[in-house]
Amino acid sequence: MKKLATLLLVLTAIAVGFSVKITMTSGGVGKELEVLREQLKMFKQLYPDIEVEVIPMPDSATERHDLYVTYFAAGEKDPDVLMLDVIWSAEFAPFLEDLTDDYDYFELKEFLPGTIMSVTVNGRIVAIPWFTDAGLLYYRKDLLEKYGYKNPPRTWDELVEMAKKISQAEGIIGFVWQGARYEGLVCDFLEYLWSFGGEVIDEKGKVVIDSSQAVQALQFMVDLIYKHKITPEGVVTYMEEDARRVFQKGEAVFMRNWPYAWALLNSDDSPVKGKVGVAPLPLGPGGRRAATLGGWNLGINKFSSKEEKEAAKKLIKFLTSYEQQLYKAIHSGQNPTRKAVYNDPKLKEAAPFMVELLSVFVNALPRPRTANYSELSDVIQKYVHAALTRQMTAEQAIKNIARELNFLLK
Amino acid sequence: MKIKGSAAYWMIFPTLLIISIVAFFPLFKTFYDSFFSFGLRPGIERKFVGLENYKNLLRDVRFVNALKNTIFFTVVSVSIETVLGLIVALIVHQKFTLRGIVRAAMLVPWAIPTAISSQMWRWMFHDQFGIMTRLWERIGIITPGTPILGRPGLAMWAIIFVDVWKTTPFMALLILAGLQVIPEDIYEAAKIDGANSIQRFFKITLPLVTPTIAVALIFRTLDALRVFDVVYIMTRGAVNTETLAVYNRHVLMDRAFTGAWFGYGSAISVFIFMLIMIFAIIYIRSLKLRLD
Repeated sequence: MKKLATLLLVLTAIAVGFSVKITMTSGGVGKELEVLREQLKMFKQLYPDIEVEVIPMPDSATERHDLYVTYFAAGEKDPDVLMLDVIWSAEFAPFLEDLTDDYDYFELKEFLPGTIMSVTVNGRIVAIPWFTDAGLLYYRKDLLEKYGYKNPPRTWDELVEMAKKISQAEGIIGFVWQGARYEGLVCDFLEYLWSFGGEVIDEKGKVVIDSSQAVQALQFMVDLIYKHKITPEGVVTYMEEDARRVFQKGEAVFMRNWPYAWALLNSDDSPVKGKVGVAPLPLGPGGRRAATLGGWNLGINKFSSKEEKEAAKKLIKFLTSYEQQLYKAIHSGQNPTRKAVYNDPKLKEAAPFMVELLSVFVNALPRPRTANYSELSDVIQKYVHAALTRQMTAEQAIKNIARELNFLLK
Repeated sequence: MKIKGSAAYWMIFPTLLIISIVAFFPLFKTFYDSFFSFGLRPGIERKFVGLENYKNLLRDVRFVNALKNTIFFTVVSVSIETVLGLIVALIVHQKFTLRGIVRAAMLVPWAIPTAISSQMWRWMFHDQFGIMTRLWERIGIITPGTPILGRPGLAMWAIIFVDVWKTTPFMALLILAGLQVIPEDIYEAAKIDGANSIQRFFKITLPLVTPTIAVALIFRTLDALRVFDVVYIMTRGAVNTETLAVYNRHVLMDRAFTGAWFGYGSAISVFIFMLIMIFAIIYIRSLKLRLD
């Protein structure tokens, strides 16, 4: 008995002596934070010697970006585990631990290829994909049926036709999306650009946006508002939540949004509960469709100590494991980054659209991957918004984007 | 008791020290940085460029535009606030029942943090369910369906509107303090001499309250010249509402790691500082304020 007590004492001493405390940033949108805390309880049981403290972050990605800029610029040792937007990898790469040698440890070959692309900078892995996002088309099943449409629109032209007919007859809005001047506008614009056959930068890094396809794509966005009149002029002030609120009140037929909207649209107090369908975004004139890849990755702070980095790796491996991704997908509606999770019957039951639209998530396209992405994004935001508010024509806007990007990337 | 000079210096030393750390040091550092070309990304060489950043400012179309917007915002909003503030102050200076409650309630817009009130107003200006949008439609200022915050021209007026709503109480409070120190007997004397109320206002009230208005004007102008939160939250600088501080944030934050922009960002900060200083000097000179 005495021996056992001594042993216990020694073990506790070791445990205390070797225990590590790490900090992690996380968003708190919807149930995100609650779910993470549950996951951390499970983690604590596996690794009692690692203590994890969560630092909640603001909702807006721009604000999170500013916070990281301050951390990194000051060479802060905390937080150790960083939740990073897919577009930040290249910009923040110099401050992130290189995880290339841990490729097998994190089982990265099991992940969706687009998500791996988003964490690769010059052939090095700088973060691990946590959850993924892609632009989707939400539609009112009940209204489409009422007006004799069996399927959601296949092409943008079909969408315009359906939206016009239904919105005029019902006296509601046709189509809402994100048109405010912020990052979300770039996501929406790229989807039109790609589906119309355009591109911002080619594989060689050359700016190729100055094309007739790009002008047509932007003109189409402008036409949605002023010619077809299926999108309200106010869309130029809409972010995700503005669009969702309009759609959720039952005042729009179609909406472009991310997967997170599904759970909210089907919550008990939602007027459109059970009346909503989800489809891939429509095809452009060239027969191409595209969804912008979104999502968040987990990286490790380069300034952290060796012990903290080791503990951080364990935490990231745990959070991106099959079971935990399934748990997160079911409880907070955030899409898994591992392919195999999409075959799980439990996921199919909780979020059927995730499984049905797997091809959308697999084929989602990343935004241009350059270290000065935020500058590039700012240029696109500025001129696309100017075209949407008719301060210049689509052609002038595209010309201006091309000119400034050429200057930025030279 | 007389304290010797040196003892007095020792007593203000802690204050000076703290001010130096939190105010003078960053100010000096920003000045210093503005003469260099550098970024925060490792590997970007720090180069002395002299006045190059300042020369580039004038060639930067976006900067010049932001400067114009800032001046427009400042002149218009501060003018309206001063006039309204004076009127409100004169009203609450009168004796009426529940005056105390009215004076306290008046301060509510000022007490709400700008970040929160701006978000509140952003919702009220929403094109679909914004109450202000409905109201403006009724009055006939806008045609139905107009996105107030998405229309060039209109958006800036909406921002000015919110700023006026928020800071008029502050103006009113300061001016009220000025009104209260005007002795009552001057008015009595004027009345006996046969001055009517308009004459009393222009000959007595206005001249005596002018120094207070001047101080309030300085406070407000300096604040307005570096306006950030209300613009950033309501429009993020879209539809030609970008002010200097909003552009400054973009250069210092979005571009911190993308290239050698930090020196340039510092130059913008210094410019804002200088602009505020020039305004302050003009006010002090033209209103013949005595700062002792």
